[in-house]
Amino acid sequence: MASAGSHKNIELLTYSEVMEVSGYVGNFKVKIKKKPRYVDESKCTGCGTCQEKCPIKVDNEFDLGLGKRKAIYTPFPQAVPNVPVIDRDHCTYFLRGKCRACERFCETKAIDFEQKEQTLEVEVGCIILTTGFDSFDPTPMTQFGYGRYDNVITSLQFERMTNASGPTGGKIVLKDGTEPRSIAILHCIGSRDVNYHEYCSRVCCMHSLKFAHIIREKIPDAVIYDLYIDLRCFGKGYEEFYNRLQEEGVNFIRGRAGEVTDVAETPEERGKLIVVCEDTLISRQRRLPVDMVILSVALEPRADVAETAKLFSISRSRDGFFLEKHPKLDPVATTTEGVLIAGCCQGPKDIPDTVAQASAAAARAMAIITKGSVEIEPTTAFIDEKLCSGCRTCISLCPYNAISFNEDKKVSVINEAMCKGCGTCAAACPSGAITARHFTTEQIMSELEGVLI
Amino acid sequence: METPKIGVYVCHCGSNIAGTVDVQQVVEFAKKLDSVVVAREYKFMCSDPGQNMIKEDIKNLKLNRVVVASCSPLLHEPTFRHAVQEAGLNPYLFEMANIREQCSWTTEDHEKATEKAKALVSAAVKRVRYHQPLETKDVPVNPATLIVGGGIAGIQAALEIADAGHKVYLVEKDPSIGGHMIQFDKTFPTLDCSACILTPKMTSAGSHPNIELMTYSEVEDVSGFIGNFKVRVRKKARFVDEEKCNGCGVCMEKCPWKAPSEFDLGLGERKAIYTPFPQAVPNIPVIDKEHCVYFLRGRCRACEKFCERGAIDFEQQDKIVELEVGNIIIATGYDPFDPTPIVKYGYNRYPNVYTALEFERLCNAAGPTGGKIVLRDGSEPKSVAIIHCVGSRDENYHRYCSRVCCMYALKYSHLIKEKTEADVYQMYIDMRCFGKGYEEFYERLSKEGVKFIRGKVAEVTDRALTDEEKGKLIVCGEDTLLGTVIRVPVDMVILCIALEPRSDAKQVAQLFRISQGADGFFIERHPKLDPVATMTDGIFIAGCCQGPKDIPDTVAQASAAATRVLSLISKGKVELEATVAVIDEEKCSGCRVCNILCPYNAITFIEDKEVSRVNEALCKGCGTCVAACPSAAITHKHFTTEEIMAEIEGVLV
Repeated sequence: MASAGSHKNIELLTYSEVMEVSGYVGNFKVKIKKKPRYVDESKCTGCGTCQEKCPIKVDNEFDLGLGKRKAIYTPFPQAVPNVPVIDRDHCTYFLRGKCRACERFCETKAIDFEQKEQTLEVEVGCIILTTGFDSFDPTPMTQFGYGRYDNVITSLQFERMTNASGPTGGKIVLKDGTEPRSIAILHCIGSRDVNYHEYCSRVCCMHSLKFAHIIREKIPDAVIYDLYIDLRCFGKGYEEFYNRLQEEGVNFIRGRAGEVTDVAETPEERGKLIVVCEDTLISRQRRLPVDMVILSVALEPRADVAETAKLFSISRSRDGFFLEKHPKLDPVATTTEGVLIAGCCQGPKDIPDTVAQASAAAARAMAIITKGSVEIEPTTAFIDEKLCSGCRTCISLCPYNAISFNEDKKVSVINEAMCKGCGTCAAACPSGAITARHFTTEQIMSELEGVLI
Repeated sequence: METPKIGVYVCHCGSNIAGTVDVQQVVEFAKKLDSVVVAREYKFMCSDPGQNMIKEDIKNLKLNRVVVASCSPLLHEPTFRHAVQEAGLNPYLFEMANIREQCSWTTEDHEKATEKAKALVSAAVKRVRYHQPLETKDVPVNPATLIVGGGIAGIQAALEIADAGHKVYLVEKDPSIGGHMIQFDKTFPTLDCSACILTPKMTSAGSHPNIELMTYSEVEDVSGFIGNFKVRVRKKARFVDEEKCNGCGVCMEKCPWKAPSEFDLGLGERKAIYTPFPQAVPNIPVIDKEHCVYFLRGRCRACEKFCERGAIDFEQQDKIVELEVGNIIIATGYDPFDPTPIVKYGYNRYPNVYTALEFERLCNAAGPTGGKIVLRDGSEPKSVAIIHCVGSRDENYHRYCSRVCCMYALKYSHLIKEKTEADVYQMYIDMRCFGKGYEEFYERLSKEGVKFIRGKVAEVTDRALTDEEKGKLIVCGEDTLLGTVIRVPVDMVILCIALEPRSDAKQVAQLFRISQGADGFFIERHPKLDPVATMTDGIFIAGCCQGPKDIPDTVAQASAAATRVLSLISKGKVELEATVAVIDEEKCSGCRVCNILCPYNAITFIEDKEVSRVNEALCKGCGTCVAACPSAAITHKHFTTEEIMAEIEGVLV
């Protein structure tokens, strides 16, 4: 992160979003919205005084609500760039017109309440999408009691809890601050489930094993249950890690939990969360009374994945993730040339696989850069301006946004660099004004004639 | 020596250090140490304000030495060296005391941890006085790349680099590129034909102006260092002139001698002059000396007689080619595990027990049976058992999971269901369907009526206990979901064998000076953040030689290795480590002990002067030679005797 932040060839645009993309491989024009931070990046030294002095505390998104942050904040101490933002929705000055404590204490006068949203236009040759994943929200799976029982937490919340710089300073604790004596880790929450996501999220088995290990390390006498369907430990050193956890005394139960309840049936279940499940290896129903339940939630496509796909003219697969050009031989390219994908936006994957894929995408971009030019298919469509009636049917049909309308001449014009030669416009043109090169009417008719001999 | 003015900076690292070590106490302690001008603490020294604190002090207090007590140097030594350099000091006038990994994380008692942190800081302060300014050197990078292994990983990496406009030498030991992937029938989970999607890439690699294919060739020797490797390649004699042969195939037609085809794993035959498969790249046959009658008995030469181009050359000799390259990618793939030692599964004892790779050839339309799934007697099986994890997840063979077997086993089930009426049983431990579309494929197969039995198979036997078992292979095991012992009579058994390191992985590792992990596969520099680099600069790994993986993951990794090479090429130079060993020629007695001990072959003997000399570009600063030199003629820059003694003295305070 620090390298990326200080690299002379990298311009970081944080707190920013892409609004518009036009052009084609080698020549994209991208409009970027830079949201106002209300802090002048050129003046701020990242000393943190503003955050110390700000009187308003709100739930910290970074800690998934387990900790607090101020209304002026950096999400975490090692943030890059180390420049805070003011959260308008919680800042007293923005809400009630008073306070400005941060401004008063800022020695470099970096606070700027008047800052406005900026729009940047950049020109680039290639685009790599690495927009990642969203964590599945298990609230709809009411049987697991997430949101209802305090001590049912998601895997990402547990990550923050065990983190030394997290809200509990790395202590594994229940809502009431006490240490849990027993913990159940439930695999495949929202994954491998026809009601939510049919796919496997690829990382949960391993992070669940990691959780079990951390719990064993921090609470040596805790009772740990891992409720799994299949243990998918497929990477380098993964199976070995699974073997180690078995030796560390984790109770692996093959079976999907049916529900998590607080309705006790025996005295020892009182005050506990009871995980009800079928242990498929002994073919028996079991009730496991525990203090804490960790839900290993699915990785799912970003909530705005449809808009992003549209923005960059790429497709998605059935599971909602971005679709690669070829699942095997071209896993980082998309059907739009010059737009590449890497990481979990293409599908769930672990860190080594993500790093490999990201480097692969970089290789593609570098190949395009070093070549310096891209060859464009000559088999594109063209419009005979004399025949074009200006009806614009072709414009709405073109899947590559390659056709624009010339207002002066009142005719449609094809951008040959963007045209993929699919022929949709040629077939649809009511005036017969569009010809697909190499697939002209004469060529096709002669071919038909030939085949019928 | 100038008067040392030392600044000491102690990091809290949030609560990572400050939670155990009393940082304030350490700072107060440091302030009293000899030559220390300033000592400060900060929450995160690595953050911008932390670094700025150091830079300001260097400027304002005229510091000439800096000590940071924080995490492992592996993590942030470059960060702080850079900061020190930005403030105008030589980056080597800096020392790091590791009070996190080696102190706060490992010492529970707060008082003891604080004392230990003080000792480490004291050691660093004593040591840093003796640091000398060092300069790093640049060496140019030869833009040509050597890729070893012509499977999908090697082909992909070669195409990425060649497409970016740089020269690639692709060395393959077999007569054709294609690797294991070209042997497969369909690929999971999309079921497209493996050869159909690979051959376009193979022909691209074969005809690419920037790729020089060297098939039927092996790397014999590697010397040099990043940016400047020298490689000796043995081009084995094909006995066919590559310039003249046009691949017409008449020689193979006319050759009267047959041998079992390695490509079909002995299930089919080939001639003594052969290409391993029809789409071979290059499409140039080789003569197999072991089976050619002319070589065996001095007569025949049928191929020569019929070759219109006069391409057959029985006199051809192995050729040695010397290459100069800047980077090397190793993509040597895997060996399929031989299940013969697991006698209970009956491989080689029962004819209808097949390995997975044999089954790939069996159901391939271009394979020995024309794609028909048949038993040895030619009849169609009525039931097939597919046994997972043969040699994988087994402490007697390989502990690791081979990552691809669950999915190809599902693929086999589908192909069997498609081509025959057979019942299919899968005996698995866990179904590991983790990739994109994999779980969905598993769902589909469950609906296609495949019987999944969770349990490791104990034995395959032909001893029938009932009439219906007679003449069958009986798969015995435990169905762990039913909790019962089962006997499943079937006609055919497929063993999903492990992917294991190549039998010559050790030699290859030695040749290229890279390491193997406990599992025998080549080891990457960092399992998470540097999965394609090795500990030897300029040498990268991709594909199954690093560990079992499927095709998409192999392709991604191969492209990743190509990126690393491309960025070195476009930079044009590499910076060399400055902390190398130097030999004082006046003291060197010429005993050559260091020559033998150096693990990087960085020391050569100068015959004229009768002394040894270190090649600074190759030296990694490991210090082996320094410790071993009987004349104490070798000094290790940045790790001199003074520096080390001072550090020891400091830690004992």
